Amino acid sequence: MMNDEHTRARFETLMVPLMNDAYNLARWLMRNQEDAEDMVQESYLKAFRFFASFHEGTNCRAWLLQIVRNTCCTALGARKVRQKEVPIDQENDQVEDPSPLPPASLIKKATVEAVREAIEALPVDFREALVLRELEGLSYKEISEVIGVPMGTVMSRLARARHQLYLILSERKEHDHL
Amino acid sequence: MNCQECHDFIDPYIDNELDVAAAILVQQHLRDCSQCQPLLESRKALRALLNNPRLQFEVPDSLRRKIQSALPAATSSARQRFGGRSVIPWFSVPLALAAAFAVVLGLVFLNQGKILDRSRGNALVEEVVSSHVRSLLATHLLDVPSTDQHTVKPWFDGKLKFSPPVLDFADHGFRLIGGRLDYINGREVAALVYQRNKHIINLFIFPSEAGRTEAAQSFEKDGYNVLHWDRDGFEFWAVSDVNAGDLRAFADLEMKQA
Repeated sequence: MMNDEHTRARFETLMVPLMNDAYNLARWLMRNQEDAEDMVQESYLKAFRFFASFHEGTNCRAWLLQIVRNTCCTALGARKVRQKEVPIDQENDQVEDPSPLPPASLIKKATVEAVREAIEALPVDFREALVLRELEGLSYKEISEVIGVPMGTVMSRLARARHQLYLILSERKEHDHL
Repeated sequence: MNCQECHDFIDPYIDNELDVAAAILVQQHLRDCSQCQPLLESRKALRALLNNPRLQFEVPDSLRRKIQSALPAATSSARQRFGGRSVIPWFSVPLALAAAFAVVLGLVFLNQGKILDRSRGNALVEEVVSSHVRSLLATHLLDVPSTDQHTVKPWFDGKLKFSPPVLDFADHGFRLIGGRLDYINGREVAALVYQRNKHIINLFIFPSEAGRTEAAQSFEKDGYNVLHWDRDGFEFWAVSDVNAGDLRAFADLEMKQA
């Protein structure tokens, strides 16, 4: 059994260096700095409490990001209920947009601000898959562990997230030209 | 492969999540089908935008300090919860002895050559991972910060007894950001540093003892992925926290130079 000193040292080595990843995910999910900070702090305290259940050889980043993700989703869920938002059931909407893709040249010059706004405009299910893949660099298997859905769902959410993001950015570019 | 299948597989294809056979099918379809080209172009254009490091949020220092100072409090509350005792269960000592005995038995029955090979591999994995972690923690990531391979390569001349191959893969999302001298396996080695989004890849290079081109071997330690391969008389060790697929793609790019 690990003693407290040893636990603390292991936690420092494995989990503290991942704070940027944790914050990045929370910031994208919560969409504001204040909430993201609260979520990261809560997640780290939780992670420390659960650290006894962390086994050597487990993927540390996926383990920590799962805690961050669940903490954020709980907070977002509670807020949703309070605000009586209608949940958007994106998963059932399987019809692909049949119209041809706008040309890639339309989005090539998009600014960082435009990209940031477009990501933030995505539904949270799509946004988390996209952020975990593109901005945290996780594999499909790791994403499936973090958000608790099968790999096939990860794949389809990513495809739809990218499709939507692409459309948002190309439309925006058209507006900018008008 | 038809267009619908290509459409379904385009994302795992650009994410390096397909096995080699499937990836080749997608590649061939994309080469031959003008209708699917725009799809690939759209994904590439998006990837280029998302690769911008300015999209990454950095944890504020104030929060970092706050969390680190909150952790000892968590320790003491954990201690209260478990009654402050460090308990070694009565069965753990015999269990540990039995486990150790089993390990020894297992080793005896294993192929001797394999053990040596493997133990050398494991020792090197530990060394390259700890060197990678050190390079990130200390302020000693780069001796020669440069994105130009023609600046980095001559820098090693005169500092090492060998001249390591220095290549940039910025077009593929792996940007060379510089190099440094490091010390692995009791000798001086070249460490090339690459960036993938915000993640750092250390590529350690030194003359190979085997001297033959071998397929890459992968390892995993403390959440870091490690790939090892030999080519043209050099040993290569790539270490990073990028996912295994991306590190494999990086290694493939490097190996293609053979």
